[in-house]
Amino acid sequence: MKINGAVAVVTGGAKGLGLAIAKLLQLLGATVIVLDYDDKALSELPNDLFGKLVDVTQPESAKLAVSDVIKQYHQIDILINNAGVIYSEPFVNIANASGIMHAYNSFRSSLKFNLDSVFIMTSVVVEQMVMLRTKGVIVNISSISANGNEGQTAYSAAKAAVNALTIVWAKELGRWGIRCNAIAPGFIATESTQQAISKTSLDHVKDNTPLRRLGKPNEVAQAVVSIVENDFITGIILKVDGGLRI
Amino acid sequence: MNQRLINVLAKIFAIREAEVNLNLRKEDVGSWDSLKQMDLVILLENEYEIALDITDIIQMVSVATIIEVLKKKGVTLED
Repeated sequence: MKINGAVAVVTGGAKGLGLAIAKLLQLLGATVIVLDYDDKALSELPNDLFGKLVDVTQPESAKLAVSDVIKQYHQIDILINNAGVIYSEPFVNIANASGIMHAYNSFRSSLKFNLDSVFIMTSVVVEQMVMLRTKGVIVNISSISANGNEGQTAYSAAKAAVNALTIVWAKELGRWGIRCNAIAPGFIATESTQQAISKTSLDHVKDNTPLRRLGKPNEVAQAVVSIVENDFITGIILKVDGGLRI
Repeated sequence: MNQRLINVLAKIFAIREAEVNLNLRKEDVGSWDSLKQMDLVILLENEYEIALDITDIIQMVSVATIIEVLKKKGVTLED
């Protein structure tokens, strides 16, 4: 797909990884609409990115936002499901006085942010792609945690499910010319990574990464571009992790 | 029945051409599920250069209704 002239929707695109992806797509000539629930970050978006305040975990809000985009831009060619929240909680925490087991509420909450959002947004966008016969592309931002990351029961489960959805959708939607792929970043130097993971842990990650560093947001954005541009790639989970999982 | 349509339907549902007839309904064809319905739509659109909308797609539950929809779209189906 040619990015120049395409219409792209990037969820969670007001900062971090999502913003890097949105900026690169815009730089390559796409019209980029950023959906995010962080109104402060949206207000700080560069002028050439269009922001919308949306909670993509709410089906009606997502539907309304996509409907508005279609009214204004007529179709959506690219959907980047980037919205999500890194969440770490051990399954058993013997030091937690209020209960040693992983809280169910936080498990469900993590699934809502990291999995439900992908289902909801893809549903409403693919509905439009099918109705308008748009041969679009979906890129889900997964994580190497999908392989099962110690201390991340909920997050790992959500991302593994995202990988499964990616493959199912690639199979089902291929007949419409719609491609679906995922990118599984390793540890990327973003604000949310720094907030969610301690410096000691990140130093340990760097030591165990063949390339001996964290990834840069733009390196994930470049992977998104490669997937979008190559019309014969569908159903892949592309690791962008500096070799951490080899 | 129109031979071109018979070919299309036999191909899509992986059945013998002799099995395709006006009385054939969705429930008679094991492979005619919702995914095959999508394949059917895409194949008919490409074959006859038409665009089917949701009401057409829902209506197509038998060979007879497929013919009805195609004719409504201006497709000529001579025997």
